[in-house]
Amino acid sequence: MKLSRIHKQTLTACATAVLATGLSTQTYAADVTITMAAPDWPPTRFMKEHFDKTYKSPAGHNTTLEMDFIPWPSFYERVAASLTSGEQKYQMIVTDSQWLGSFVEGGYYMDLTEEIKADPELMAIMEDLHPALVSAYSTYPHKSREQLEAAGTAIAPDTQYYGFPQFPDTYVTFYREDIFCHEGEGAAFKAKYDATFPCTYEDWQDVDWERYAQIGEFLKRKKGEMLAGETLEDDFYGISYQAGKGYDFSSMQANAFIWQHGGSIWDETKAPEGQAEGVVNSEASVKGFEHYLSMIPHMPPVAKTGQMDIFVTQELYMQGKVATTIDWVGLGEPVLDPKTSKVHDKSAFGPAPGLRKEDGSIDRTGNIGGQPFVLTTWNSDEIVKEALNVVKWWLAPDTQLEAVANGGQSGLKSVMADPTYNDLRPWNRAHVEMIDWQKDVWHIPLFFEMLTQQQEEFDKAITGQQSAKEALDAVAEFQQELLEDDGFIE
Amino acid sequence: MASTTRSNGGLWARLTAPKNRGPLLVAPAIIVLFVMNIFPLLWSFGLSFFNYRANRLKVPEFVGFKNFERVLTDEKIWDRFQTTAIIVASSVTLQLIIGFALAMLFAKHFPMRRIIMMLVLTPMMLSFVSVGVFFKLYYEPTFGLLSYFINFFTTEPFVLLSSSTGALAGIVIADAWMWSPFVMLLVLAGLVSVPKYLYEAAEIDRVSPWRRFITITFPYIKSLLLLAILFRTIETFKIFDIIYIITEGGPGSSTESIAVNIYRMAFQNFRTSRSGALAYIILFIVIVLTNLYLYSVNRRAAEEDL
Repeated sequence: MKLSRIHKQTLTACATAVLATGLSTQTYAADVTITMAAPDWPPTRFMKEHFDKTYKSPAGHNTTLEMDFIPWPSFYERVAASLTSGEQKYQMIVTDSQWLGSFVEGGYYMDLTEEIKADPELMAIMEDLHPALVSAYSTYPHKSREQLEAAGTAIAPDTQYYGFPQFPDTYVTFYREDIFCHEGEGAAFKAKYDATFPCTYEDWQDVDWERYAQIGEFLKRKKGEMLAGETLEDDFYGISYQAGKGYDFSSMQANAFIWQHGGSIWDETKAPEGQAEGVVNSEASVKGFEHYLSMIPHMPPVAKTGQMDIFVTQELYMQGKVATTIDWVGLGEPVLDPKTSKVHDKSAFGPAPGLRKEDGSIDRTGNIGGQPFVLTTWNSDEIVKEALNVVKWWLAPDTQLEAVANGGQSGLKSVMADPTYNDLRPWNRAHVEMIDWQKDVWHIPLFFEMLTQQQEEFDKAITGQQSAKEALDAVAEFQQELLEDDGFIE
Repeated sequence: MASTTRSNGGLWARLTAPKNRGPLLVAPAIIVLFVMNIFPLLWSFGLSFFNYRANRLKVPEFVGFKNFERVLTDEKIWDRFQTTAIIVASSVTLQLIIGFALAMLFAKHFPMRRIIMMLVLTPMMLSFVSVGVFFKLYYEPTFGLLSYFINFFTTEPFVLLSSSTGALAGIVIADAWMWSPFVMLLVLAGLVSVPKYLYEAAEIDRVSPWRRFITITFPYIKSLLLLAILFRTIETFKIFDIIYIITEGGPGSSTESIAVNIYRMAFQNFRTSRSGALAYIILFIVIVLTNLYLYSVNRRAAEEDL
């Protein structure tokens, strides 16, 4: 009986050891599939291609990154439908920073604060990331850049972190060198406005909104008139920026004007004391929005319909209908592609214009674009570890430099400081200059409701149905009521 | 064991008995209908009495008729109903006029009639998205054909969608372009059913064309015309795709129909319960319209029987 028990114990121990060895071997080389929701455009396409070519799991897994490429116009709806339906399809999601609140509160996005704190590699990445990106892409409840910098540590106390930059985007100026560097046009502009017609990057660094408006007026030409030594076959326009009703296609540019004039949007970091009324529709905000509207008449006529979104401005520019546009870096790659752009060999890039201050410097404060990627809450520990390995791989300097060279962008200070960085793509210098000016719009779960109503009111102003003041008064009143209802304002 | 087998055999035999075969055959369809339609319908109806939001973890609270009350007292919603009514009235009228004119044209025989009719019918066979994108590009003031043609005369780009009236007109024209052929088909069916001898008799009696139309043609097409009006009213009441693609409800909110508003409320703002309440109000309106149609059809049938 005793022998038999010992025999049994030995057998059990052996079996456990064999099982444990087997299991650990299995864990070590598991097949891991990470499905990621991603907008269908070059920066995410490159990520998939580069992952398939270069990624090697540090844990020894056979890791597959399945990208569910979703067209931009339906990206939010598709992601939202997937998350709220409970299908738990995605392990990682490329997300707009503004959706953080909605999907964190819904219990879908994973709080990564403890994982970051426990991992020196992730801590190093956080330290290397530009603070504007950490603030916009990672924190919820949202912490401003100033709040994070005041903390003085890579991970600020009482702050939750969720995302890492997949594609940090800024808007820059796309311009036609053949027009702006044409001697005759330059001389005519100088004669009319007593100002430099911007040709080089350095010239564009000195372009403020006043000069931009002058360019709009100067280059608005009718069919049959001359432009840079050639007779125009169609009407031509000087300037353009986003003024569309859809998604955030006017707010992103209008916010820049409002901030530059010293106005403000509702500040979620000041909740629940921070008010909407009196802030959103302050005199400075109205002045900023009026300034934004003042340039619409110089733009292609589609601007008057409220449909000039970021894709329309890109298309107008690529088809040679407009001399310059302010658009996201992420939309720059097709501009240089001869298959899609008539101006692929005539384009150059500069910083976006801004408002000249009393001391002569230019305030370029703008609304950040781009997207972070996040992990979802239903992932197993194994998936979380591997997904964080994917994050580390993507944010490794070598991968980032490759991404930048292939239409991506980097938010790592060390990569942006790399001596080769500026030459990798023609807009890189402008991106580095612009990133320091970036702020973000709201991140709370009511984001979409606030945005939709604001876009609607802005659209009425863009299409001439109401004044800037009426639009901002309506926005402020709506936001005040909505935020009070939900407890964001007391 | 034998008993179990006998019992199973008995059950199977009972299930497949001739009198049960009918219900058995329709059972899968009923189950699918229940799971895919009836259950979600009841569930969403239930949700409309709570304060549920799909993007929140909060446990929904029962709020009774509050969502219905909020929706029905919301000026914005009534404004969207008004916009929808304008679109429905304008578009259905235009469809009737064009559809009727086309039907009168195709009721006559002329060379290449069949080919031309096939081309005229094409728009209603296209997807909403194709029609929306087509008209969006057509109205586009920089590249669009409409602006290009008008530019010949005015030398200025034509910006149809910059005003509320222009944008509404743009939506109505697109919808009427797509669905006038449907009205034409129905009216044409009525026109070809008119016995020729009635026209011959009217010609002998030297009846004027107008009187011929009122006394002979119209009675034959009346019920089909009513059918067209009701079908198109119900469908246009739910208009979404074309608006969302061409104007996204703009400028401002001047072309935002009630269906677009529900979409925004449910899938962008995640006011799940409130959008459910609004959807049930619309369902009620559609049911009323459908019953009006059934009532008129039944009355017509009763008249014919007499």
